Amino acid sequence: MSNEQQSTDVAGIIVTHGRLAEELLRTVELIIGPQGNLYAISGSDLCDENVIGGIREIIGRRGGKQVLVFVDYFGGSCCINSVRAVEGEEGIKVMSGVNLPVLLAFATKRGALPFDELVDHLVRRGRESVKVIAL
Amino acid sequence: MISLFRIDDRLIHGQVVLGWGSVLKPDRILVADDEVASNEWERRLYASAAPAEVKVSILSLVDAARQLKSGIFDSERVMLLVRHPKSVIALMDLGLAVSEVNVGGLHYREGREKVLEHVYLDAEERTVMRELVKRGVALDGRALPGSRSVMLNSLVV
Repeated sequence: MSNEQQSTDVAGIIVTHGRLAEELLRTVELIIGPQGNLYAISGSDLCDENVIGGIREIIGRRGGKQVLVFVDYFGGSCCINSVRAVEGEEGIKVMSGVNLPVLLAFATKRGALPFDELVDHLVRRGRESVKVIAL
Repeated sequence: MISLFRIDDRLIHGQVVLGWGSVLKPDRILVADDEVASNEWERRLYASAAPAEVKVSILSLVDAARQLKSGIFDSERVMLLVRHPKSVIALMDLGLAVSEVNVGGLHYREGREKVLEHVYLDAEERTVMRELVKRGVALDGRALPGSRSVMLNSLVV
């Protein structure tokens, strides 16, 4: 988990299988520097209740911030548990298919765009980043 | 026809859909769980997790046993998923014949002790497993079809 070095309006939580979440966060920070309010939860070794509890714990201290939850695989347990954890919460969205370009865009754009536009932008960015390289 | 009967506290998720699904190619995933079956939001959530080409039934234990016994799924490859070991006993008591169960995922939580990498049991679940052993059910401890199968029968007695 990261510390609160940067003041931003939108918090992010990465929830994945394996140790992918921690590594994604570490890699984002390697590329663009330390991130505040971006958290990692790896769900594989935890029971559902602990994954959900971890997400809710972060949401509980968001202090009115909007939150974007990034999950790796649509339909996986991390996705299911994230959807369950944010049920009934305002200003929180869950987005599947997280990849490095999405997180880099999140980190650089989250202070600049309104929440809904930010989410649309990230979905586009994620899709654009998957392509066959033809020179 | 039940091609896999699995205990997994995550029910429909990646290991089941991709890991087992790619090998068994199920026509239907049948979740037998009273709690999920009685909650429309939970039903939609789990149904959304299954691939579009696989049919999904989410039924109470009573309805699951009745439908399975009626033979309406005999022409399909069915993956039967339950969340709790005691649900297997319940289905057997409702008349479902069970000779083998895949113990796929019972994840760590407080009060559960480790039996395998992906199998943790609390005292009550251990008692239920012993009852299954007594009833002659083979307990196949395995997360994925390609992983080494550990028969849990001797580990829970």
